Amino acid sequence: MMHEMSMCGLDEKNFYCCCQLLLQQSEQLRDGWSWEAVQGSEEGYLKKTALRSVVIDSSSVWDHEGCGSDSEPHTSCHSQPDQPDEEEEQAAAVASGDTDSIKGDIDDEDEDDGVCAVSEGSSQMLQYEYHILLSCSYSTPVLYFRAFTLEGRSLSLEEVWSSVHPNFRLRLQNSPLNTITLQEHPLLGQPFFMLHPCRTEEFMRPVLQAAQDQHRPVNYVLSWLSVVGPVVGLDVPLQYSTQLHPAPPPSSGKPD
Amino acid sequence: MADDKDVLRDVWFGRIPTCFILNQDEVTEREAEPYYLLLPRVSYLTLVTDKVRKHFHKVMRTEDAEEMWFEYEGTPLKWHYPIGVLFDLHASNTVLPWSITVHFKNFPDRDLLHCPSNSVIEAHFMSSIKEADVLKHKSQVVNDMQKKDHKQLWMGLQNDKFDQFWAMNRKLMEYPTEEGGFRCIPFRIYQVTFLFSSCV
Repeated sequence: MMHEMSMCGLDEKNFYCCCQLLLQQSEQLRDGWSWEAVQGSEEGYLKKTALRSVVIDSSSVWDHEGCGSDSEPHTSCHSQPDQPDEEEEQAAAVASGDTDSIKGDIDDEDEDDGVCAVSEGSSQMLQYEYHILLSCSYSTPVLYFRAFTLEGRSLSLEEVWSSVHPNFRLRLQNSPLNTITLQEHPLLGQPFFMLHPCRTEEFMRPVLQAAQDQHRPVNYVLSWLSVVGPVVGLDVPLQYSTQLHPAPPPSSGKPD
Repeated sequence: MADDKDVLRDVWFGRIPTCFILNQDEVTEREAEPYYLLLPRVSYLTLVTDKVRKHFHKVMRTEDAEEMWFEYEGTPLKWHYPIGVLFDLHASNTVLPWSITVHFKNFPDRDLLHCPSNSVIEAHFMSSIKEADVLKHKSQVVNDMQKKDHKQLWMGLQNDKFDQFWAMNRKLMEYPTEEGGFRCIPFRIYQVTFLFSSCV
């Protein structure tokens, strides 16, 4: 689906279309997304719940007021057996536009074969709920989420932080406004964690530009989600993009 | 802007006389007296109620006091709404002083955001400023300000210093004639009920 929108961002109509397309694919892939509509309008949001097995290491609670960077005590493992590491690297690289520091982090990890030091924390099953809304102020999608133990206890911000993969944690730490905070859900009025949208335009711009240059359709919401989702444990299977454009038949090589 | 200074001062110095009463079910070692305070309309509950906390802590054991939260006639009060907004939304018809109930247990985390420190309030405030500036100036003004300018804006609010605050806020409120003025005037509508009530 080609976007006529300028590099400025996403409007309500385009957001709705992107979401509907994502939904169709989600249904085929059984990925669990649904659309929650505001009665009688196109306004609404995408929603998905998922169970995740996560290690919460309370001893490596990050003081996200900014001190964590000099000491890296235990790192908690982000156990997602089916999450390919390449996806995270790609996602992180696109997100930062500063591939050197991300590669640096990953190279350190290589010594341990990509396994973090296992911490004292125990593994828990948690219920996550993810919502994708449109921010009209920023003209970008925004990811809201909340997490509960199976007994229904809400996770604290510290616990959520300690379940973020170390590769992402440092990047988020450095700019408080690009980080995870507790916010009021604009439509539900309840506390949700949110990934701040103010830098979204920055990392989406090269993606959109490249797509435009290559005359390739792009789903803004899907591309954006593949970047931010992994940060908070939301997997976006590669099949979403392989389905979007099946291989074109061999032709004279001219772009369509 | 200079002509409006009186109006700006009136808005800044708006106060709501408030009476804080401890929730009856709190465990206390002796009777708790109500605490009276003039709340600034433009500020946030958790920013201006340290004295309230200290006052009630005197009659409680430390282990019985968890995160403080406020309620008015059964409704938990959202600290992240400016105090003036809370009053206008919930209590505009009440006889003054505004009577708020103070709690130290059973924090309603399905309704209220936690507020563990002032830096959370600062982040929330700055986030609102940024969002408004996106609409108004495509973030140009807020991004051109230095970090210390942002800090000064916040400190002005935190310490109730009109001049300190407006020295910085002026930049956000100026009318850039070369671009034909504000792109938009940002405003936020608060309502008591939400479009959805979700079952959790």
